[in-house]
Amino acid sequence: MTASSKKKKENKKKDFQKPKLKVGKARPKAANSTDTSFRAKAIALKQQALSTSAPTLEAQCAHHLGLLNHKSDTQRKESLAFLTSAITSNPTTDPLPQPSSVIIPAVQRLILDGSNNVRQQVLKLLQSLPPTDIASHTDQLLLHTRAAMTHLAAEIRVFGLEVLEWLLGVAGDEVVSCAGGWVKMLKCFLSLLGWQNEASGKWSTAKSYGKADSKLQVKQMNVLTSFLRAGLFYAHVVSSVLVTDSNFPLWQTEHHMLSGRSNVYAHLNLFGAARDEEAEMYEDREDRQRVFHERAEAAIITGLEQATKGGGELGRAAAQLRKAVKEGMTDFYREEIAL
Amino acid sequence: MKRKLGALEKLEADHAALRFKIKRDPQSYRPDFEQQYQQYQTLHDIFIADPSTTNSGLVALKDLIEFVSHVADLYPDITSQFPQDLIDILLKHHQVLEYDLRDKIVGSLALLKNKDVINSSTLLNTFFPILISTPSKSLRQLLFTRILSDLRSSNAKATNHRLNKTVQTAFFNLLESDKTSPKGIWAVKLTRECWKRQIWTDARAVEVMRVAALSDNEKTITGGVRFFLGADKEREDAAEESDDDNDVDMAKLRHQAGINKKSKKKARELKNAAATVKKKEKKKNAPPLLNFSALHLLHDPQGFAETLFSKHVQNTKNKFSLESRLLVLQLVSRLVGLHKLTILPLYSYFLKYLTPRQASVTSFLAYLAQATHDYVPPDVLEPLVQKIANEFVSEASASEVAAAGLNAIREICVRQPLAMNETLLQDLVMYRKSKDKGTMMAAKGLLSLYREVGADLLKKRDRGKDATMGIRAGAIQERRYGEEAIGEIEGIELLEKWKEEERRKKLEAAGLDPDADNGDVELDDDEEDWKKWDVESDGDSDDSGGWINVESDGEDIQISDSEDEKEKSQRPAKKAKLSSTTPAPGPAADAQDSSKTASTSLEPETKSISKLLTTTILTPADLKQLQTLRATNAITNTLPSHKRAQLLAARHADDPLTAETIELAARLGRKSSKQDKIDMAKADRETTHHQSTTAKRKEKKEAEGKSTTNKEKERKKNFLMTLGKAKGKNKRSLGDVKRTLLGHVERRKRGGKRGNRGN
Repeated sequence: MTASSKKKKENKKKDFQKPKLKVGKARPKAANSTDTSFRAKAIALKQQALSTSAPTLEAQCAHHLGLLNHKSDTQRKESLAFLTSAITSNPTTDPLPQPSSVIIPAVQRLILDGSNNVRQQVLKLLQSLPPTDIASHTDQLLLHTRAAMTHLAAEIRVFGLEVLEWLLGVAGDEVVSCAGGWVKMLKCFLSLLGWQNEASGKWSTAKSYGKADSKLQVKQMNVLTSFLRAGLFYAHVVSSVLVTDSNFPLWQTEHHMLSGRSNVYAHLNLFGAARDEEAEMYEDREDRQRVFHERAEAAIITGLEQATKGGGELGRAAAQLRKAVKEGMTDFYREEIAL
Repeated sequence: MKRKLGALEKLEADHAALRFKIKRDPQSYRPDFEQQYQQYQTLHDIFIADPSTTNSGLVALKDLIEFVSHVADLYPDITSQFPQDLIDILLKHHQVLEYDLRDKIVGSLALLKNKDVINSSTLLNTFFPILISTPSKSLRQLLFTRILSDLRSSNAKATNHRLNKTVQTAFFNLLESDKTSPKGIWAVKLTRECWKRQIWTDARAVEVMRVAALSDNEKTITGGVRFFLGADKEREDAAEESDDDNDVDMAKLRHQAGINKKSKKKARELKNAAATVKKKEKKKNAPPLLNFSALHLLHDPQGFAETLFSKHVQNTKNKFSLESRLLVLQLVSRLVGLHKLTILPLYSYFLKYLTPRQASVTSFLAYLAQATHDYVPPDVLEPLVQKIANEFVSEASASEVAAAGLNAIREICVRQPLAMNETLLQDLVMYRKSKDKGTMMAAKGLLSLYREVGADLLKKRDRGKDATMGIRAGAIQERRYGEEAIGEIEGIELLEKWKEEERRKKLEAAGLDPDADNGDVELDDDEEDWKKWDVESDGDSDDSGGWINVESDGEDIQISDSEDEKEKSQRPAKKAKLSSTTPAPGPAADAQDSSKTASTSLEPETKSISKLLTTTILTPADLKQLQTLRATNAITNTLPSHKRAQLLAARHADDPLTAETIELAARLGRKSSKQDKIDMAKADRETTHHQSTTAKRKEKKEAEGKSTTNKEKERKKNFLMTLGKAKGKNKRSLGDVKRTLLGHVERRKRGGKRGNRGN
């Protein structure tokens, strides 16, 4: 036997030797045991709940608002669900556990969340909030909605349409009149539907990367229809101030009252950056009609022609849209045609 | 029913895939890009509403910014606003931005510049203001490297003068506008780095540093001063370093290409490597790029040195630390020594600091010596030398102190020998009998110096053989203040003598009287000289066709300066008046001619030398002859005095004098401790553990990235494994055996299976 093989054998033997146990002695430590003891001068407990009473609803809500940044989507969803239930169970006479001005900014970016469950829960939460509060946060919500509508993932694009639909239902007038709300949304819709504004070529372009199927297109067209209805039709006149004879010597009192809306002078843009035509606010129906005519009408009409030819569900949606455009633009004074 | 997804649709939410597709076919994917761009714009709007957020929406914005900046050059009409957006975000919100996004924006801007969407000056105008204003260290570092790499890349092919000018102007303005602010340090750092990498080598960069050195902020000042003191050495080191790094082993690459899988990419890599190797080879053979040092590129060194001295050194109001004050003083003295400037208050300033108790006094001594040159009036230096002698050199003072003092005095006197008087010198020279080795050596150094430059100040017995003989012969002459050595070529008299002898030989061969003056013969001689213009083309008469022969009345071309001749005729006369011994030309080079007897009158010889120098143009053949004559006359070179002179000459005038030189003498006598000796003995031993020769060899081979050779493998192969093959060999048919043998022969001829393709 060579020296090396002998040595190897000895080594092997050493590996499998059984440790001898002795009575009255501490058990020998295993070869792979890890020493977990440590020494410290002081041990500080970072937090200690000393209160015996349960936290208030407000505190709980604040905690869950903080959890909205959590990396686990289940946790996010659950926090949203908690907030939703807290708001819905709240009696209407009481103020909300946390004001909407706190909830909405924290929640709105979850519109772009990657998980479908979270997104659906966000919509539920938003629906549970009082509509008057939504109206004052329309511009920020609309920004996120638009981001969702142009998102790379198709799911989020669909969800963006859902949010917009709801938003139009709750605060349609604010949506179309807020900064960038009209022109940018129109542009967004046009690019989503693939209806090119400038007739660059008569050739049909190939259905390109990431284009949606006709179902999505139908949905888009439906939402566009309701968007145009909100923008081009007369708003329902809401007479908040009671017109009675009681304040007889005063006429048109409602014009002299302080407005109920927040940020009344937003259109003056006193503090923000200078706006271009796209980001401008279009508060009048006439303004919107003019801009619509200039920027989108031609593209929509040509796009509609193709869509109507498609027939089926797509054709029906196209017909609805055509009707909306026609009705909205009936009283628009067309210089081009007159000439 | 769940629809099956195609490969393309799966990749839908992937910007990288879309980017790839867009690059392939920009026109088809235009709508997709538009959609993404809209998404970017929306997110941008959201972001602008609250720039300091750190929530998850930023990740999307970051991705989109990256995506858009990668393809922005393909859709210039859509993305015209994009670079400006990024610049605005960075300029307005860089303090509150989330750092990932911030870095991404910086990177994207650099990318846009690389794609020529924005130009360099826009980029630098964005980055530089942020660099000097941001409180974030990591951002500063990032911007610094970005700015530098941008400057480097835009100067890579050819110097981009326009960009350099704008950047340098920006630096200049920064330094000029607010002299007290510490922001100027960034201009200094960037300039220094550019100088080091040889991006900037012109006078304008030096001008920026000049302004920095004259600012009011201590950091900026030291930055600027350090640049002048050390940047050139740094530049040389960096140039050397860049030569040796990333050496490509061509043989290894070729070997690998033979073995590994062949692909287009591998072939391309090999080709590129070959190209770089070739380039490097070319670079190595090219003549070195000559760059002027920063000290030489300075405009108006006198004014600069004066302002530096009066503003930073002499001014007692500023509260600089001693270290930075010393730095400035070093620069001033360096400038004074190098450009031979005259700043008289500088020397009286030193007087205060020349005491052994002064902190870092050796530096002061070194700078004083550095600031000395032969145009400094001796009466200004004399009190300084006297003070050093009084304060440092005495029996009572410590041996290191005395050695340092003597050494400093010697360094001063090397540069201005007239600063010494007779009594002091004789006093100092006595220290050569000191018991301390350092002091003794320093004193001997002083003695040997004065044997050469002013032997008459020494006592007769101290003068030594050379000097005594020289004085007696009148060869050694004290040089007066402001006197310049006559410019001449070393060994020219040897050439003269040789030419004369050659001429005599020729005349004798022709049967003429060698002593008679004959113009025609001389002319022949000269023509021959012209023919032998080039050494290499020996006797090729065609070559001289290009040269115009000027022959008129047996005279050759005369290029003589009337002033020179006047001066030369005047100088010996003046000397004759001054010296009591026989008149002689001063320069030390004449000492070579010691074989010549002193009895001959030297006056006519001087004239003849000047004649040869002023009346003829030395051809390359002449110069070569001169060189050989010098070499044969090398006996003088072995003399110790000559060796010393050579050593002195070897020390370049541009090299600075440091405190170490002054302290060196004091360290001589010190005995090293036992530990030092052990360390020194161990220093050359690298490995501590023992290794067999085989193990060493193996390690060496592994370090080279090689494994065992085939031969070695063959030898080590298990015997049993070879059996099967050997058995099979026996059963082969005769034809098979023949084929294998022939194949072996064939491979032998080719040099292995793959042949010698590699070489």
